Amino acid sequence: MIYDQVVIGSGISGLVAATILAQYGHRVALVEQAPVLAPVLRGFSRQGIYYDTGFHYSGGLGDGEVLDVLFRYLGIAEKIEKYSFAADRFDTFRDVETQEEFHFPIGREALRDRLSTAFPQEREGIDKYLAMVREACQAIPYLNLDLEFGQVKSPLGVHGPSLGEVLDQLIGNTALKGLLSMHSLLYGVPPDQVPFFLHASVAGLYYESVHGLKGGGLSLVQAFEQRLDELGVDVFLGQAAQKFSFAANGTLAGVTMADGEVVACRNCVATVHPQVVLDLVPSELLRPVYRRRLENLEETVSAIMLYAACETPSPLLQGSNLFLGRLGRPLEGLGCGALEERPIYMAGTAPDDKGPGARGFVAICPAEQDCTSRWSGSSLGKRPAEYLRFKEETMERMQCHIERSCPELRGTFKVSAGATPLTIRDFSANPAGGLYGVKHRVGQYNPMARTRVPGLFLAGQAVVAPGVLGGALSGFLTCGQMLGQDQLLERVKACS
Amino acid sequence: MTEQQIIDLINSSLVEEFELDPASMSPDANIYEDLGLDSLDTVDMVIVLEGAFKFKIREEEEIREIRTLGDIYRFVNGKSHQIKRK
Repeated sequence: MIYDQVVIGSGISGLVAATILAQYGHRVALVEQAPVLAPVLRGFSRQGIYYDTGFHYSGGLGDGEVLDVLFRYLGIAEKIEKYSFAADRFDTFRDVETQEEFHFPIGREALRDRLSTAFPQEREGIDKYLAMVREACQAIPYLNLDLEFGQVKSPLGVHGPSLGEVLDQLIGNTALKGLLSMHSLLYGVPPDQVPFFLHASVAGLYYESVHGLKGGGLSLVQAFEQRLDELGVDVFLGQAAQKFSFAANGTLAGVTMADGEVVACRNCVATVHPQVVLDLVPSELLRPVYRRRLENLEETVSAIMLYAACETPSPLLQGSNLFLGRLGRPLEGLGCGALEERPIYMAGTAPDDKGPGARGFVAICPAEQDCTSRWSGSSLGKRPAEYLRFKEETMERMQCHIERSCPELRGTFKVSAGATPLTIRDFSANPAGGLYGVKHRVGQYNPMARTRVPGLFLAGQAVVAPGVLGGALSGFLTCGQMLGQDQLLERVKACS
Repeated sequence: MTEQQIIDLINSSLVEEFELDPASMSPDANIYEDLGLDSLDTVDMVIVLEGAFKFKIREEEEIREIRTLGDIYRFVNGKSHQIKRK
């Protein structure tokens, strides 16, 4: 059997790519090194509570919006059940010292009014900022399906300006700057580095609509599993791809798996981390400069995560996320300083058939990789005792940090699991260990979908943007490069 | 830096980073037809030049117009004159 396409990696971009290619009638194999599809998006369960590890909420899922239209085209929209976050506060920022809060409402007008009321002196800057965010989203062809793809000038945002530069230009108030850059926790790049374009493409969509999924990321994985089955995609689980093999004439011939078996194919979409791509391709097939570029891509910040079960469903995190930080103290470096001084992002578990309240939550605190690098030789389930002590102590510190910042949660939750940069590295098969993989930053040229290797294409968050939205769009854009962008775009738009 | 030094640095950097034949590095060499670069290599060419000359290249239109090695020499020369004037 020779596959037309092998897709390596079953994260969201791999799931989307495999589905599109199969819908075009190609014979597709999907290869995943974990024993299950999409381990990060899938999440995990402890004591009857389901915890998301890859998906917490998304923009672009409102009826007729970009991700909703794409999911319709992929035949999975009817297999998932979305719900809107709280209209008057989808995200809450809480200052951990003063307990002062700001609630982000859904809708650009509502947000503008609330920001202007809270910061009347900054009305002009707020208007300009929101107009710039909207303009950026309109100019990004993959967010605005009405643009022609030929108009893409990639890579977007590499020349700046950064979010920090834009905010410095428009806004004087430090607290407001902090609020507007709070969403940098969702892409793992500090405001002085992240291209304004990238920030706008993430935060800007949340200003329009905010949705979660009933049953969380797992429901999305299950929808794709069903769809891949309907389309006859062959799934290879539990084995990593090791090397590409080539025919005598230089064309791609297959993917050699860990056990030596070769999955024969004509084309391949690699959705793995760019460092892993370098391991797969014989070095003489890539220019030294390209190889070095991929090797040296900066990685997003990593994190410490705490998963907790609530005694009673907490209204604090129902249909709303909580960002803990200090107003007026700008975010710098994200993972720097003592854990107690760093910001935290908290999300309630997704509603399930037991009711709408969050029965548990995850708290994510940015952390540098080096806090666990001493034990980087160890693997999941086989960590040394010293690491386990570090992890336990870190979870206690996280718990104290949360209880001090959220007095209403004191004594109402129990820690059920934790994760460190090492857990993230091994769980997401990302050798570099960043929470969102490779950074998108001003001055850094991330890889594009096409490569010099005939038949090899790249997709994934490193190529377009992080998150379910960025990953899904990357799968779609890469397939566009392979199949013809205009036709694919027409087919997707026909589903709006 | 003299014009010759600029040319030498461009040639040596491209030869090393793109594994090109030093003998083919003449001003009228077409970078696509004679040196075998393609549109995918444009970003890496920008990175090589930025690294060699320590300036940022934002002139995307001008880069797209480049056809020969001589065009690259002229582009870099122009950039270094601009920088000197500042």
